[in-house]
Formats: sequence, C-alpha cells, structure tokens
Amino acid sequence: MTQAVEQPPAHPAPAAPQPAPATARRALRLPGFTLAAPAWLWLIGFFLAPVSLVLWYSFGEKPGLFGTHSNEVLSLDRYGEALEADYLPTFVNTLRIAVLGTLICLVIAVPFAYWLAVKVDPRWRGVVLGLVMVPYWTNFLVRPLGWPVILSPEGWVSGLLQDVGLRDEPLAVLYTRGAVQLGVVYNYLALMILPIYVAFDRIDPALREASRDLGANRWRTFTRVSLPLAAPGVAAGLVLVFIPLMGDYVTATVLGGAKGTMAGQLVASQFQTAQNWALGSAMAVVLIVFIGVTVAFFAIAWTSVRAVVRARTRLVVPERAA
Amino acid sequence: MTEPYSQDEPVRILASTAMATRLRRRAFLGGALAAAAGLVAACGDDSEGGSSTGASPDSSVGTGPLEGQLNIYNWAEYDSPDTLAAFTKEKGPKLEVSNYASNEEMIAKLVASKGTGGYDIVVPTGSFIPQMAENGLLEKLNHAALPNLANVDPQFLDQPWDKGNVYSVCKDWGTTGFCYDTTKITRELTSWADFLDAAQKEASGTTSLLDDPGEITGVYFWSHDVDWNTTDKAKLDEAEAFLVGTLAQHVKAFDSYPSGVMPQGQYTLVHAWNGDARQGILGTKEAGRWKWVFPSPHSNLWMDTWAIPVGAKNINAAYAWINNVLDPKVSLTELEYTGYNTGVKSIEATAKSQGVELTDLIFFTPDQVSAMVPGEVNEAHQQRVDIWNKMKAAAAK
Repeated sequence: MTQAVEQPPAHPAPAAPQPAPATARRALRLPGFTLAAPAWLWLIGFFLAPVSLVLWYSFGEKPGLFGTHSNEVLSLDRYGEALEADYLPTFVNTLRIAVLGTLICLVIAVPFAYWLAVKVDPRWRGVVLGLVMVPYWTNFLVRPLGWPVILSPEGWVSGLLQDVGLRDEPLAVLYTRGAVQLGVVYNYLALMILPIYVAFDRIDPALREASRDLGANRWRTFTRVSLPLAAPGVAAGLVLVFIPLMGDYVTATVLGGAKGTMAGQLVASQFQTAQNWALGSAMAVVLIVFIGVTVAFFAIAWTSVRAVVRARTRLVVPERAA
Repeated sequence: MTEPYSQDEPVRILASTAMATRLRRRAFLGGALAAAAGLVAACGDDSEGGSSTGASPDSSVGTGPLEGQLNIYNWAEYDSPDTLAAFTKEKGPKLEVSNYASNEEMIAKLVASKGTGGYDIVVPTGSFIPQMAENGLLEKLNHAALPNLANVDPQFLDQPWDKGNVYSVCKDWGTTGFCYDTTKITRELTSWADFLDAAQKEASGTTSLLDDPGEITGVYFWSHDVDWNTTDKAKLDEAEAFLVGTLAQHVKAFDSYPSGVMPQGQYTLVHAWNGDARQGILGTKEAGRWKWVFPSPHSNLWMDTWAIPVGAKNINAAYAWINNVLDPKVSLTELEYTGYNTGVKSIEATAKSQGVELTDLIFFTPDQVSAMVPGEVNEAHQQRVDIWNKMKAAAAK
C-alpha cells in the first residue's frame, strides 16, 4: 500500500499570505489572461479565423467556372444543396462508420488497456506500449496503403481463406464500406488505447485489493471499481477517436472505392475538383454540426445514465451520532 | 541548345516500380501522396529567371543559361524516369515533379496561388487552354526557343483550342475506352451501350469508372449517340437521372488509374484511358484475360499539352525541357513508358520497328480517329461536375 486516496495536506496552508517581494507584486498586477495570450492568439489565428471564414463562404455561391466562391449574394441555398437527397446519405453513412468504428475501438481497447496496465509485467509494459505506438510513427497515409495488399482478392489472406476452405471464392472486401470500417479501427485504435491505459494505470492497486477483501469477485471489482475510475480516460478516448474519424478522408479514399465514400471526401472534392468552395464550406459546416450534435447527445446520455446508476447504487452510510 | 551546366546529380527514385504503380493509382489523394509518389528528390534553390507578361514573348525569352531547379506540375506517372534523369544529367537543372489528378485541381492551384505557385511547367488538357489563357494563367510561348517544334507532326499542331500553338505544345494524345475481364464477361462487348449494359449485369459491383466529370458523362452521351459536349439542359438532366439514379449503384470505384488494380481482380469492367489500359494489360500475368475495346460509336480525343504557367521562375529550363521531350529519341522513351502517342513525326513507325508491345492501344486507325471527338469546356461544365459529385455520393448509398 503506497498512499491513501485523498491525503490530507501535510502542512496546513498559512492563514495569511506572506508579503510578496516588490518585483513579484508588480508582475502580479498584469491582468490574468496575459499568460494565456499566446494560446488565445493561436486559437484565434488558427482555429476561430479559419472556421469563421468557412462559415462565411458557406453563405455564398460559386460565381463561375474559374471562381471558387463569391459572397455577393448571401443565402442558405448551399445548405439546401448539401442536405439534399444526393449528399445526405453520405453524411449518415459517415456517422454510422464513425460511431461503429469508435465502439469497436472501445471494445478492443478496454480489455487490452486493462491487461496492459494491470496484468503485464512492469518490465515488459514499455515494450508492449511501444508496440502499440510503432504503427503510429508511420505516416498516416502509408498505413492504410498496406491494406489493399492484404485485402486484395488475389492477396494472401484471400488465398489462405480459400486454402483452408473457409471461403469458396476470392475475398471481396476491398473497396467496400467494410474495408473502410476495418481501416478506421486500425488507424484510430491507438488513440483509444492510450488514454484508457493511462486511466487504468493511475488507479491504485490497493483499491482493487480492498474491493476483493470486501468480497467482490474479479468481474465485480472490474465493473464497480476499475472501470468507473477509468471513465475519464474512456471519455477522452471516445472523443479522440470519434472526432477525427468523422473527418477522415484518407482511409476512405484508399480502401473505400465507390461504396465507402465519407463526408470528408465530399468536402475535399468540392474544394479541389469542383472548385465550389461555397458548397464545400457548407458541407464542412454540416459535418461540424453532425459531430457536435453526436458528441452532445452521447455526453448527455452518458451523464444521465451515470446519474441513474449512481442514484440506484448509492451507498448511504448511516450517520453516527456525534 | 546551351552549354550544359554540369551537375551530375541523377534523379533519385524513391519507390520501387511495384510501389510506384500502386502509389500512382492513388496519386489523386492529393499533394501529400503526390509528393510520396513523385520520383524526384531535389531541393535546389529557386533560380531567378525572366517571367514575361501576357504580351507576345521576345525571341530571346527562354534561351538563357540553364541552372537552378525546374518544377514540373504534371499528371501522375506521365514521364519516363529515364527522361527525367537524363535531363538533369545532360542539361543541369534539377527537377521537382508534383502531380495532380484532374485539370480542375491543377487550375484551382494556379488560380489560388496567383502566379506564386512556383511551377515552371504544367500539362493541361487542350480543351482547358482557352479559359486558362483568358484567365491569365499561361505564358505565351516563344517558338524561337523551341527548335524541336519542327519535329511535331503538323496534324497535332494548330489545334482549334490553341490556334498557332500560342500557349501549348502537344505532349500526348489519346482516347478513352474500356477493358473487360474475359474470364468473367464471356460475351463480346464492342460499344458504349454494351459497356453500360454489362456494368448493370455481369460487372455490377465490379465496374470502375474514370474519376473525371467529362469522361463519365461522356459514356452516357456516347452510348446514346449524343454530342458529348452538349449544353442542352434536357440531355444533361437525362444523363444525370441515369448516372446518379441507375449506374451509380453498380460502380465499384472511381479510379483514374485502374492499371494498378487490373492484375488483382477487384474489377471486371474498367473505364480507362488507352495508355493506362495498356499498362494494366501488360501488368496482368495471364495473357488475354483483359480485352481492350475502342467503343463505338464515338469516344474522346484528348490532347495533353506542355505549357508554361504565368509566374514560372525558371523559364529557361522550362523551354529547355519542352524542347528536350520533342526530340524523337526522348519522345520514344516517353512513349514506351506512358503508352501514349506523343505526336512526334513518324513515331509510329519507329515504335513498331523497335518492338513496342500492344501498339494497337497507342496508335489508332484513321477510321478510329475519325470516330473520336475532342471535348470542350463550356457552360455545361458545372453541371457535369455536379453530376459526377452526386454520382459519387449516390454510389455510396
């Protein structure tokens, strides 16, 4: 047992602050946000400004063959186009791929991260963690390029499955939505494992011991002690995977063929080939809204479920008379 | 033409041939992959060079000493690595090649960078030249700096979209057709109507289409024997209804360079440019598995051209490059690699005598050529782009 969960501060804080030296006092007179200014400038210059510009373009139109955008006439027509029957299904598909992909990552990552944080010999932990990270050091573009080789109908997996007798005909996975699904799980899994691993790793082993000493079995200890304590890591992993996955276009371009088109590709083709920045911007805003609404929905669902669970499992310790 | 600025630095190829084939197919991912597939690793300094305005060029333009780096912005895998290496070795300038997948993409970059993109050479398709010139994207060419222009077959000079070759010189010309896997499609296909029929039957779910608005709408118009440059709204709407509503669901992929996939078996019916189809057939082990069709009744006649964008920094090297590839020997090297007719005089006879394979996919009979119709960039262009976008979205439903 190394430390208690909430250690009282060793030395109580002094009742009155020490008088600070003159120089320190002068520095303290600067307004509080000064230190954060670089972060604010960064946020404004590289996030708020471009996003505002995209929002502004989305109300415009494409003026002609060689123009990309014009805001002479402002309208919501581009949103109408982006949401019409031709494009809407792509947004819905993207959402489905992203939600399913995030859930698959979660299902794989939780047991793996738990195993890594709890079961693996600490001497080997660094090595296993390194193995999780190694693919991540490869270029994001190069990683999915390996899959067409593996998934090709005349590739080795297809040959193996046929030789073993599991399939009568060549594998037909490449250039389907299934291939994209596989590709995104492969590409984003590490982003789910790492925060959950960190969360499990930070849980004091004493808590698990205490849980077992008090009669809970392994499963109950995991679900009632470890997992709830790792919840912030799980939430971080979900967000880290879901948001970039919604905007992914590389994986879908390499593995998706015509069936696996994702919204990111729609946006890219409007900017690059169709040169219709107005419609591309509207699609980008629609994508942002889809992401925002989904995250908000799951955040609310999570909070309510947690509230209900807490209410039902709350342990009321009878107050002792003083 | 000038003293070679001797700098014996060969062009370095970063990818194996197999890798390059695979990468090339995906080069339309954009700049990042284009950079990976780009064959040249050179990081020389930008050289200063005269950049003329839109006025007629002085006869001394482009004849100065060669130095620095030449930036070529081109379609993927469109020059032989041998040509690139030899140019640097013999003439001096280092090369930097980057790629684009459609004329629209290249134009978008030139427009967005407003002449500061740093490209010295671009390769637009002929039909895009008038609008590019009108929008001030291209330099007028100084023919005095291109003595090898005399090597080009007059048939491929003075095209309707660039009378007098003011802005461009023929790089390659070719057509669009399709290939089918004879082990999967056993009947004979000869026309665009057959193509569309097979795409909805035997090849449903294994058909690949060129990732290009004009080519895709072209298939519908050719199959219905309608002028593929039509601006008739009713005809375009019919094409849209069929392509988006019917054909899209049968499409496996929108792939401008299907040759890399043809040997692997994902596709059984492939819409392709002749040179790429030839590479796909040559790359497939089983001889006779793929059959090339030049479909009736009509097809595309496209010509890609060398041009110099406004704002080119190394204009001397740009002229030297264009002049170099118009040399008959260099031209043959290019043809052997890309599988496209370069339009240089008597190249057909030379290629055939040198034993170049599958010449029927490179050279066409007069009857075939007369069935080819050049494309136009006109006011229907936007709708063709819209159809293509909607079709891609519909294919994923």
